[in-house]
Parts: sequence; structure tokens; C-alpha cells
Amino acid sequence: MNECPERNPKLAWREIDGEIVIISPEDSQVHELNETASLIWKYSDGIRSCKEIAAELAAEFDVSLEVARDDVAQLVKALEEKRLLFVAAAVEG
Amino acid sequence: MLVPIWKPDSERPFRISIGSIPFSLFIPQEVLLRQALTRYREFTADSDTGLPIFLRPGSGTEPESETFSYDLDGASLVLRRSAAEFRGVQHEYALDSLLRILLTVVLLPKRGFLLHAATVVRDGLAYVFAGRSGAGKSTVASLSPAGSVLTDEISLLRFTDGRWQAHGTPFWGEFRARGRNQHYPLAGVYSLVQAPEDRVQSISKKEILRALLPCVLFFTGEKRANEALLHTVLEMIEQVPFWRLHFRRDARFWEAVTS
Repeated sequence: MNECPERNPKLAWREIDGEIVIISPEDSQVHELNETASLIWKYSDGIRSCKEIAAELAAEFDVSLEVARDDVAQLVKALEEKRLLFVAAAVEG
Repeated sequence: MLVPIWKPDSERPFRISIGSIPFSLFIPQEVLLRQALTRYREFTADSDTGLPIFLRPGSGTEPESETFSYDLDGASLVLRRSAAEFRGVQHEYALDSLLRILLTVVLLPKRGFLLHAATVVRDGLAYVFAGRSGAGKSTVASLSPAGSVLTDEISLLRFTDGRWQAHGTPFWGEFRARGRNQHYPLAGVYSLVQAPEDRVQSISKKEILRALLPCVLFFTGEKRANEALLHTVLEMIEQVPFWRLHFRRDARFWEAVTS
């Protein structure tokens, strides 16, 4: 949960009606994120940790921190596998 | 039409305009020039301010000053700030393909793009029917009144004169017509879906984008260009009615479209 996800800087994206649409210029793929994944995407600035993003998610969607952490872990992994996000370990100190 | 005698170093370009964007084609090969004069006859223009396009032999490029380049089956396009080069063009089809690719790049900052779509004009308004190969664009064109089809394959949509308009293009599919260099305000854009009934369906912005983006001709992997494309397409979606058209591949679909 200390990792800091960061959006792939090569991607073009826009928010439409509260949800994110991403174009991957390299392969012209279009990705659409649901509401939860969209929130994670917006907070994935390379500075916030997954733990901090989960806290934002819990507040936004009125779910427990435990549920939010599970969601963030799963979705960050899925987005990382699609190379939409990169995940770096948080810098200590 | 008289075909001018062409010399390899002639200073007389063949001037055309597509989507209100002028080009000056410098074609040293006489056969290719004759083919271009025929193919783009309806798009001949007087403007001497068009982007020069120089057709050159060979395929070498000097990458240091180019702003965009694209290779296509032995031919290539290099776009620089004040001119474009088409290299290794052996036939009119390669010329046509490179011209389409160049247009996609030049159109983008001018709030326009090319779309796999047939466009039909009724009562002074353009109805645009978008879809990939096999979706029914040529069928829509063939089921529309004679003389009403602006294109059956590649539509040029651009914000001009304060509104979104469909411009005629010389890029045709099965109809193989020469096209018309005219433009009309958009009545609506319809995403084609073959179905056992004719009906139009309202869809969300995301669904529109999902339907539209795969139909946009786009050839660059550059992030800023893709961002600009998203911006331009979304801008059009905000201003132009968009529908999913379920149709049976017969002329009755017009009743659903115009009702």
C-alpha cells in the first residue's frame, strides 16, 4: 500500500461525465474506466500512495477503508498490467 | 479538360483545395500528373497559398527538421513547417493515400478530421453515417437519392464558418465518383449498426466516443496529437446531434433518420 501509482505519461486522456477515456497513441487503443477506476486514475500522480488513494476512495464512495484498499490494490494492478499506470515504491523519509 | 504539358522542373503546381485547405502539388511525373488532374478535378483551386507538396523519387528522408513522417508501402510522407514531400510515389493510389494521411495532420489544428463515413445531403444539411469497412456506408449511399451523396467512404468534418460542417472529399469507395468540393452544416452523425429494424437510438457521450474514435483516420502516435484529436472530437460531440442508427439495409432507414 506504500507504492505510488503514476499515470503513463505517453497516454492522452479526457474526463467525460465523470469517467476517464484514455487513448494509447502507440497502438490506438481506447480504454474506458469506470467511476472507481477513474478516481484512482485521477489521484495517480506519482506522489499519493495507494493507501492515500484508498482513503480518498473510501470518503468519496462511503465505503470502509478495508474495502477501498482492496479495490485500489486490484484496480491498480489491472491498470498496471495494461500499462496505463506505472507503480513506484514510496520514498521513505 | 485540357491537360497542361508538364516539365519536371515546372514552377506551375497543380492547385487543389480539400476541406477548405489549399495544397499546391508539384508532380514531375507526367503520367501521375495526368491521373491527379483527373482524380482531383472537382477540387481544383485558384489559391496560390497552399501548402506545397513536392513529389520526389526515392525514399530517403532527413529526419532532423521534419514535423511528421509516415511510411506506406515503399512511399513516404515527410511534413515540414512550410512544405510536404511525398517520396517514392509510383501510382495515383499511393498519392491518394499520402494525401489522406497528410490531411489528417493538417486538419487537426484547424478543428477538423477525416472519418470513415458516408455523407448524404438532404435539404441543405449533411447526414453523416459512420462505420468501419462493411458497416453499410456504401449501402447508405446507394439507397440515397441520386446526386445527394457527398462521399461514400471518407467524410471530412470541420468547424468552419462558426459551425460543424461536412466537406466533400475526393476519397471515395465503391461509388468511385469524383466528389464535390462543397460543404454543408451537419444535421447529425449516425453510427451504423445493421439490424432487423430501422430506428435511431440516443447514446451517451462515452458510447459516442467508443463508436466514433475507431472510425477516425489517424496516423500519429504522438501524445499531443492524440490529445488534440480527443479535444476536437469531443467538441464536435458537444455541438452535433449523434445517434446510433439501426438499419435494415434498405431505403426505409431514411424515415427513421428524418422522423
